[in-house]
Amino acid sequence: MVNVDALRGYAADLLEKGQVRAVIGYRRGTAGVLAQPCTIDEAGEAETLVWDPTCLNNLARYLVEDRQQQAAAQTRNKTPDGRPVAIVAKGCDSRAVAVLLQENYLKREDVVIIGVSCEGSGVIDPRKLAARPEGRWASRVDFAGADAFKVTVGGDETLIPARDLLADRCLECRAAAPALNDVLFGEVVTERGLDEPFRAVKAAQGATEDARWATWEHHFDRCLRCFACRAVCPMCYCPECVVDSTTFVNTPGTTAEEKATRIRWCERSASVSESALYHLTRAIHLAGRCIDCGECERVCPVNIPLRLLNTKLEMEAFEQFQYEAGRDFGQASLLSSFRDEDPNSFIR
Amino acid sequence: MSKRTGVFVCHCGKNIAATVDVKKVARELAKDDGVVFCEDYVYMCSDPGQGAVIDAIKENDLDGMVISCCSPTLHEKTFRDASELGGLSGFRCEIANIREQCSWVHKDPDEATDKAIKISRAAVRRVQRNEPLDPIGVPVTRRALVVGGGIAGIQTALDLADAGLDVILVEKQSTIGGNMLKLSETFPTLDCSQCILSPKMVAVSKNPRIRLLTESEVESVSGFVGNFRVRIKKKAQYVDPELCKLCDDCSQVCPVAVPNEYDEGLTNRRAIFIPFAQAIPASFTLDEAACLGLKPVVCGKCEEVCEAGAIDFDKRPTVFEEEVGAIVVATGYDLYGMDKLGEYGAGRYADVLDGLQFERLCSASGATEGHILRPSDHKVPKEIVFIQCSGSRDPENHCAWCSKICCMYTAKHATLYKHHVPDGQAYVFYIDIRSGGKGYEEFVQRSMEKDGVIYLRGRVSRVYEQGGKLRVLGVDTLSGRNVEIAADMVVLAQAMEPSKGTAEIAKTLKIGLGKDGFLAEAHPKLKPVESVTAGIYLAGAAQGPKDIPETVAQASAAASKVIALLSKEELHHSPTVAKVRDPYCTGCAMCVDACPYEAIGLVGGKAAVNEVLCQGCGSCVGVCVRAAIDVKNVSQLQIHEMISAVLAA
Repeated sequence: MVNVDALRGYAADLLEKGQVRAVIGYRRGTAGVLAQPCTIDEAGEAETLVWDPTCLNNLARYLVEDRQQQAAAQTRNKTPDGRPVAIVAKGCDSRAVAVLLQENYLKREDVVIIGVSCEGSGVIDPRKLAARPEGRWASRVDFAGADAFKVTVGGDETLIPARDLLADRCLECRAAAPALNDVLFGEVVTERGLDEPFRAVKAAQGATEDARWATWEHHFDRCLRCFACRAVCPMCYCPECVVDSTTFVNTPGTTAEEKATRIRWCERSASVSESALYHLTRAIHLAGRCIDCGECERVCPVNIPLRLLNTKLEMEAFEQFQYEAGRDFGQASLLSSFRDEDPNSFIR
Repeated sequence: MSKRTGVFVCHCGKNIAATVDVKKVARELAKDDGVVFCEDYVYMCSDPGQGAVIDAIKENDLDGMVISCCSPTLHEKTFRDASELGGLSGFRCEIANIREQCSWVHKDPDEATDKAIKISRAAVRRVQRNEPLDPIGVPVTRRALVVGGGIAGIQTALDLADAGLDVILVEKQSTIGGNMLKLSETFPTLDCSQCILSPKMVAVSKNPRIRLLTESEVESVSGFVGNFRVRIKKKAQYVDPELCKLCDDCSQVCPVAVPNEYDEGLTNRRAIFIPFAQAIPASFTLDEAACLGLKPVVCGKCEEVCEAGAIDFDKRPTVFEEEVGAIVVATGYDLYGMDKLGEYGAGRYADVLDGLQFERLCSASGATEGHILRPSDHKVPKEIVFIQCSGSRDPENHCAWCSKICCMYTAKHATLYKHHVPDGQAYVFYIDIRSGGKGYEEFVQRSMEKDGVIYLRGRVSRVYEQGGKLRVLGVDTLSGRNVEIAADMVVLAQAMEPSKGTAEIAKTLKIGLGKDGFLAEAHPKLKPVESVTAGIYLAGAAQGPKDIPETVAQASAAASKVIALLSKEELHHSPTVAKVRDPYCTGCAMCVDACPYEAIGLVGGKAAVNEVLCQGCGSCVGVCVRAAIDVKNVSQLQIHEMISAVLAA
């Protein structure tokens, strides 16, 4: 079990000694059962940190925000605080940090990874919880071993099988403990009797091409182009999104000619063709980078099963090249590296 | 942005005009925005065609030009030069390929014409955003590297030095000379191989412009044509060639005996030895693997007896960097492994030899001092069988190719045998006799008629030992009979294959290999000595089986290519190179990994392109998810414009 007090103590110690600028973690939410992300910069606040199956968010996203703020501070000629930031990271979150490190977006010395184990289980899908009669009024969800969650409703505690509440990506998770960490709380559980990896995408692939196209046409038609999926994704850190003309980068050096000739590969209008282009481009740009934290799918207000697009490419990467995003931040990236044992000889 | 574009549509005789309505293409393109001149002509590449281009630029004040014709690999340079003559930057001229990518691959005239219009229109949209770039001038290092010190490398080095260039000649073994130094006599004139080669070897050692590095290998190469940086590793040189007096005292006391690779394993040698009396550098050499004395010194006898004090066990390998402008690869051949021809008893019976072993038997510098004796019992073989195409021309089991020299050297072997053993009988099994070359056919005929060599057209199925004889079972397809010969010796004309390490040197130098493992030339007919990488040339059998005259000719050809290259003050490098759009770059370094030319590095957390190394291949553009890198004149905006033009109704 993760000793939350020990975690709080560790965070408080880091802040007390001034070893980190801040700790990004989870605290009790103010609305409903879910924990919410928080940033603390005083040792005293460490008491508010929590770790339970409602800590859904991939906090690596906040490292991206932090770097952007640091860069902005630098352009205003402020000397940035060079100390690292600590982050509470689940298995998937630590893989996200690994990709950011691999892509030189962060330096290893700029981040302290406080790893937390999912105890062989994972985090809940709030929709699955809400769908249960007792779930609507739950005030707490806790780990109860690998196979169950303890749900507190009023004064009553009920055990619910983990499989019934776990988020889909947690069911398919291959590494429920952060391999990349500076400190690890909880046990590393490698044996998991849950779904096989890529189960959902393999099932979806079973349909005919026409049926799949009809499904995706339906989903893309519903897309609002709110860009929540992009905003929550730790890998979507490009200063300018190539499939969105609203994020064009303007610097003092940007000429009128450049502004006039900007390419709009994809229009903003939420039509099937433009939305399909947006989602497919995003999926391809995440190939070999998506660590399947499932945040895009979780935040989608119209419930588009975005994980299927990303895990499809990760499955290809894994099966063709034995490549796993975030496995090791020193590994060469999938798309830019070539190995002699590549099965395709034409590339030589 | 170009506003006055000219378009020229070529008929290419009927190559294009038979399928594509070139008049219609010209009519349609004339309607496009910014197109102020449009014309079709039967052969644009002809002198009048080019003249029309030059005139049109001047008369219409063109600031951009599209030629709709054949592939840019053929005439891009022609029209860019014409463009310059007309006063327009060559980089404002683009080719729309409506032949290879349109007329040759389509049948329907209407569809082909429509496609030709779209291809041309896309090129117009692209050229309108082309920058008038200036070629990047790069200084040239006037020095060459030759890899391999066989006859090919020696000839190249001598020719280069003769032209006043400094040459670094790198050889893996302890002497130059390669396989040719092992040969006895050479066809078709039967002059002694060492006698004709050693003057060239001496010339190498005496030439002040040639820096000879034996026992050395190329570790890595970076840079580009005109400016390569080469890392060379030289093995520890325990015997100082300057001090060695060739007295032979050291090998007398050496307790080690190992098979002598320079004698094809027919004799043994010491751990300290000299490969040949004519070795260059003229020095004994110490075989690190065989020597007992190195770390810790347990023997050291040679060091004690060496009066000259030439031996030093404390020597270490050295690695150093050199700058050169061009590289010639002459890494030669090996014979196809005897172990792969078990059906001929190779490797099993001492008296089954390969061609090079037989050369050593015939050679006065070999173990038998030129007497042909059986390795097993040192008796003179009275019946000898030569088997041609041993490993060659056998795509199912061995090498698919013809090794080219075996017909000739087998005839030579048989002739030499008869000269040594006049009362003996030589038999040759052959598939065909390939004796194309000056005096070659006459040589083969002489061996048959004058020396009474019996040629049997057919293959050998098996060789086995019985009663002290090698029984050769074969077939004579001309008489249709099975043949069985009780031979005293069998010589296999082994196939020629690329020398060991050819694949590694190809990888190190980033030059291609053919399917057969020989180094690939840039064009089989028109660029036979150029590798696929600019500034790297090929010479000798590393590029394909060849005999000595052909090797020498190719070596001189490679040298002349290098001389032409290095005679320029500076080289011009295409300016269509990658360019980073700084605000978009996040420094993920994917482009750094993807660049095959090591042209991109991170500077201040952003990608930075070395324009001289960049070849404009666009691999970086392909991997950049942020669209933060572009190739000049193939920018993403231009690609977008081209796609729009093609997709427009």
